[in-house]
Amino acid sequence: MTKLHRLLLALLTITLLATACASDAETSEETTTSESEPATDETADPADTGFVYADPFGVFELDPSSAFGTENILLQNVYETLTYFNPPGSDELLSPGLAESWSSSDDSLTWTFNLREGVTFHDGSPLDAAAVIASLQRTIDLDLGAAFILLPVVEMTAIDDLTVEFALEWPTPLDLAMSSNYGAYIMGPDAVTQDADWFNAGNANGTGPYTISSYSPAESTVLTQFEDYWGGWDDGQITEVEIQLVEDPVLAEQMVRNGDADYTYNLPFDSYTALEGEEAVSVVRGQSMTNLFGMLNHERLSPEMREALVLSFPYDDIVTSLYGGEATRAQGIIPQAVWGSSPDLDLPETDLDRAAELVAAAGADGSSITYSFDAGTTEQQQIGEVWKANLATIGIDLVLEPLTFDARLELAQSDPANAQDIFTMFWFPTIVSPYDFMFSLFHSEDAPFFNLGYYSNEDFDFAIDDADALTATDRDAAIALFQEAQQILLDDHAAVFMVDVPDVAVIASDIDGHVQNPAYANVVRFHNLTRG
Amino acid sequence: MTTTIRSNPGFLRRSLFGEPGSARWRYRKSPLGLLAAGVIALFSLGALLAPWLTPYADQGRGTPDLPSRLQGPSTSHWLGTDDLGRDVLARLLFGARTALIVAIGVVVIAVVVGVLVGAIAGYFGRWVDEVLMRITDTFLAFPPLLLAVIVAAALGANLRNTIIAIAVSWWPWYARQVRSQVLSLRERPFVQAVQAIGVPDHQIIVRHVIPNAMAPVWVQATADLGAAVLTAAGLSFVGLGPRPPTADWGVMIADGRQLVLSGQWWVAGFAGIAITLTALAFNLMGDVIRDVTDPKANGRA
Repeated sequence: MTKLHRLLLALLTITLLATACASDAETSEETTTSESEPATDETADPADTGFVYADPFGVFELDPSSAFGTENILLQNVYETLTYFNPPGSDELLSPGLAESWSSSDDSLTWTFNLREGVTFHDGSPLDAAAVIASLQRTIDLDLGAAFILLPVVEMTAIDDLTVEFALEWPTPLDLAMSSNYGAYIMGPDAVTQDADWFNAGNANGTGPYTISSYSPAESTVLTQFEDYWGGWDDGQITEVEIQLVEDPVLAEQMVRNGDADYTYNLPFDSYTALEGEEAVSVVRGQSMTNLFGMLNHERLSPEMREALVLSFPYDDIVTSLYGGEATRAQGIIPQAVWGSSPDLDLPETDLDRAAELVAAAGADGSSITYSFDAGTTEQQQIGEVWKANLATIGIDLVLEPLTFDARLELAQSDPANAQDIFTMFWFPTIVSPYDFMFSLFHSEDAPFFNLGYYSNEDFDFAIDDADALTATDRDAAIALFQEAQQILLDDHAAVFMVDVPDVAVIASDIDGHVQNPAYANVVRFHNLTRG
Repeated sequence: MTTTIRSNPGFLRRSLFGEPGSARWRYRKSPLGLLAAGVIALFSLGALLAPWLTPYADQGRGTPDLPSRLQGPSTSHWLGTDDLGRDVLARLLFGARTALIVAIGVVVIAVVVGVLVGAIAGYFGRWVDEVLMRITDTFLAFPPLLLAVIVAAALGANLRNTIIAIAVSWWPWYARQVRSQVLSLRERPFVQAVQAIGVPDHQIIVRHVIPNAMAPVWVQATADLGAAVLTAAGLSFVGLGPRPPTADWGVMIADGRQLVLSGQWWVAGFAGIAITLTALAFNLMGDVIRDVTDPKANGRA
């Protein structure tokens, strides 16, 4: 009978998963309180200055020159950049960071940044022009991650201790590049000479308000207040932060509901509606700078088939039903909250009759189309299933292929002619500029990197390259060119532009001071927070 | 036929319940066994007749109905609807098809491969036995579920690969079982007699050895049908099951699990109940069959 007992045990485990999750959450509460005393059960205590961030993806790389993933949630609190991109709706595009002011020559080929006085790194050494140059030079030399933001830089000169001058090879809005989510961090002189292993052992030396006091990437990272931070400290500010890796959205939701975590994101969209009614948490929303689209394989799909796919996509159903009203339909490749987006483009509407005619004209009735998507990402799968039902009515079988992103990328990059027909992907900006989206995803490439529809159009390439060069000198002209380029993509049926993905998160309702800024996806600036 | 029955009043009873004292007769006397058989019959009928049992057959196959997302159980949707508005009962019925295909596929492959390997190893002995059994041991060295996960991940997720993945980790158990039977069978006079008159080895194995080694295999296979349903649900729960939108119980639990916190328990809940009942029924049936066929357990069932 022992076999029967084992079986019963296994069954219990599966059917009672929800309960299992609840007990997991309790266990993690114990660890939390013993390690860092953020003391969620001591909310009555006014001196509670701890904060727990339930992180769905983890912080696995700490080298500020090369990190190019979800590590930004930590790096943005330990290191700083010369400028910051303001949340959408602000009067100015940028605010000062380590640079108090900046200017450029008329041709945008020379840029001067005046550094803030009295800033020190975590080890006590002062911030000066030499440190800025050494940091950016390290990023340029390593040439990893987001180093491309510094591509136009040919020379950096220290005019004096607190003034840096950049000479560029072609005109670029360098102030925008310096606000980048990745690759623009300034680090202390002793860190510049270190390699990635030193950083990944949990070492850091930035100017930000927090230092890393313990780091175990698969579990949790603890940040502690840097007392000499130039921005200063007031009573009630958050002095200790624990970033816990919580990959399971069900567990993360449990934790914020129980007060075991103060912030999380990446929950299923249906959860947010239910969480609105909870007193202990607030649902926070930013304008979306992340979008979801399906790049259409130009090596495999005829123009008729691409148009048929574009016309068969259930745009309105997806937005109204699957996202519970949180999302808006994508208006081309540039999310609406990114400057340079346009509400005036000629967008396609779902038209199954026309799509059926196109399929018949292409003689493709009865054929199969593959839809490559991220395994485990509910929204991509659901979209695939709804689209599949539409395509079935016009004689096309959409085959859903879930794989990990790395595996999908490798397949897509290796052999376009035998790769997927549709590559589904999220994109959020490195630098908040239309060029970031258009260059990475649709500019002609010798070997495919992120242009995974293998799109190539000279007119488009010229338009966006010119627009980028104009961004620094004549932004209106640049915007007009970007819009022209967007219409080219739509007319060519380069991709199916699905939705601007909602920027939604959950934060404990007794926390004040958080602003959801989509330019820095999922970053919480802990120094701005107080617990009320 | 009717005359036969009339002239032989015990025929109908005996053909249904078996000869008194026979294994089948004792099985029918076991309430647990009958209950298990009932559940399995229900499960199989549901799977076979799925398209005719529900008005939502299209949804069972995967067509979404977005306007009716996440409705609780009602008269129009007895078990509610899922996050794409599909009828949960229809998904369960079509999911039973997936479960049945996987369970039968896995057990058939594992039995065929395992029995052949075990019989050849046991019959020929010596180095053939050594080689085949060491290969078998290699497979046994891996925890079965882990091996299945590795194989499924390597082959890619779809229904066929799920079946292969589980079968790969299960055949060695049958091989060992059959080998131990054959080791004693080949010393028995009837085998030695056919060897003596020059019947070729492959005929001896197929006609004389394997049929006599099968009794414990059937018991094992019945219980394994349930375990196959459970393992397949586990694989698809972690994303290594059939491709969406194929209905699958493990996928229903994985998807529905996220909805439980928001109060929408019915997707994961009913799929969990279906898995529990089916796996339990097959396992009980296997247990009862073992008890009634075990000569030492005579009368105890």
